Amino acid sequence: MATKQNVPAEERLFSLVLALLETDLGLTKSDILSTVQGYRQRFALGGDNSNLERQFERDKDDLRELGVPLETLESPGEPGNNQLSRYRIPREGYELPDDVRFTAEETALLGLAAMVWREGEFSAESSRALLKLKGLGTEASETVLSYVPRLRARDESFEPLRSAIDRRRRVAFDYIKPGQSSPTLRTVDPLALFLFQGRWHCYALDPATDTRKTFLLRRIVSTVSTTGTEFVPPSGDLADEGLQELLSLWHERTATVRVDPGTDADTRLRKRRDTTVDGHTFTLHFVDLALLADELCAYGPEVTVLAPSELAELVTRGLDSVVAAHEGAQDG
Amino acid sequence: MAERKRQPQARDKLTFLLSLVPFLIDHQRVSVTEVAKVFDVTPDEVRSAVRLIAMSGIPGDTGAYQHDDLFDIAWDAFEENDEIVLTHLIAIDDAPRFSGRETAALIAGLQYLSALPETRDNQALASLLAKLARGSSSAPQPVAVESKETDGALALFRDAVARGVQVEFDYLNAAGVRERRRVDPVRIESIDTDWYLRGWCHLRHAVRTFRLDRISELVVTAETSTGSAHSVSIPDTLFEGGPDDVAVTLDVVPAALSLIEDYLPPAASVESVGELRRVSIRVSHYHGLKRLIAGLPGLVTVVAPAEARRAVAEWAAAGAARYADSTH
Repeated sequence: MATKQNVPAEERLFSLVLALLETDLGLTKSDILSTVQGYRQRFALGGDNSNLERQFERDKDDLRELGVPLETLESPGEPGNNQLSRYRIPREGYELPDDVRFTAEETALLGLAAMVWREGEFSAESSRALLKLKGLGTEASETVLSYVPRLRARDESFEPLRSAIDRRRRVAFDYIKPGQSSPTLRTVDPLALFLFQGRWHCYALDPATDTRKTFLLRRIVSTVSTTGTEFVPPSGDLADEGLQELLSLWHERTATVRVDPGTDADTRLRKRRDTTVDGHTFTLHFVDLALLADELCAYGPEVTVLAPSELAELVTRGLDSVVAAHEGAQDG
Repeated sequence: MAERKRQPQARDKLTFLLSLVPFLIDHQRVSVTEVAKVFDVTPDEVRSAVRLIAMSGIPGDTGAYQHDDLFDIAWDAFEENDEIVLTHLIAIDDAPRFSGRETAALIAGLQYLSALPETRDNQALASLLAKLARGSSSAPQPVAVESKETDGALALFRDAVARGVQVEFDYLNAAGVRERRRVDPVRIESIDTDWYLRGWCHLRHAVRTFRLDRISELVVTAETSTGSAHSVSIPDTLFEGGPDDVAVTLDVVPAALSLIEDYLPPAASVESVGELRRVSIRVSHYHGLKRLIAGLPGLVTVVAPAEARRAVAEWAAAGAARYADSTH
């Protein structure tokens, strides 16, 4: 075993996993720092190891993030003394259960599911999930190769909210409510994220009123700051509950429009979720009136709002502002 | 939308090592090239991972990494035949679980794919989701994607691609022109809520992208695809440019830049003009542009050319005129 000074990070992490998987009683921090490959080369016997201790803390976070269940066993004699704590990785928590194996079709589908994410942290996580899947050795059936799906989460608040959900931290951000022109500061406990009609929403608990609210990420106009307050999320499938809550609003709220036959608006609004068609009159569902107005503005003269009147006003105002911004020969 | 290959980081490399060991255990004797193919990495990456594994182990009773405390491989097979045989195992017997975040990424991905015919079997999908949840080391992160009805056209296209036959359909393009198209379908792509067919268009003699929600009267023919699509490479970006494209200058509210990102060329320059950002996009005609701009009122303004400004103004004015009678 070469005792080179620069052991690559993956070798140190790999050695840490091996050592902690193999031990039943657990290893103390000083056992780890003084003997495990990658630490021991930098361990100063009887000296200052604070850098190395910080490295160990980061490595523990990395392993947990990767799904390696790292256990800390407190010393029965002196709980709270972390010099005496023992660390181990319980085999049953680490290994994929025997009954979790995937067929060739499932493997193909999971490969495709991982491909959906091409950007950001979700993409890194799906790539790692894919590596684990490949390690199982099942070859994917080839029926799904003709798909190239892509889903994005480009809202800047997406990752900060996701990490706050993981860490159960209360967050604060500026939010513009539909119909308002200036933002208000919101302080909430984020519970879940979900995608509905192509837009990301955050389902959250407002601790001041103890009510659950849904925020559209596109309307968050400041950075998301994490407060020091930790919360305990309620149990249940929160992402699905949020989605269902929004869906019931969606079913409740309708607008009627008249559509010119044979136009792009006709073709596409007809295929919009839950649209009902009566001749040239379409009933559309929505959650956010302002967003529906923008969507309809794009169709220009191909669609006319019949009701509600607020929607007609929003569309008129939107179109008027587009006209105003493009009138005159401001050719630069 | 160029797809950048991410540099693997220590976490990715560790995941590779932890996944590779059980794979090697299962396969007993396997070539480096085979492993490279399965994991989609280079043979050199496989070789260096195998060397690292072969020299790794546990400190052991002596704390000195004795020979018996390390993995070992059949070195002759490795160095002479480029084959991997593990001869001594340490600590790892089985594949690792998925993390809560990884599981969430897969589950949300599967939910997104609910429009595909492959996920139509709800029971099979439910069993797969349940299995994923059981294989997660912690509760999957609460992230969900609205599920979609299976689109009948998707199933027909998938089938046509698999069998290599031509399809025919009415297509309403952004200019509002409806034409019968005959296409060699190549693949089905999506961006967020929009699904597209890409293929060789017999009418245009070129690779074209068709929005599924603008397709109607679809027929799968019995005629074999011509293979013309294979003579050209299909770009990764969905909106390919043409030689006759016109450059259009836009002023964009900073927060709205991400909304037009798909239209920006890779490495587009973004200039600050007061509070706004000035960018240039290329469009094949103004029919798509006027819809894009009218749908982003107050967020994006066309600066030049004048003809494009006029097209947008006329489109929006025609829309507003529809309300002229009722707003008195």
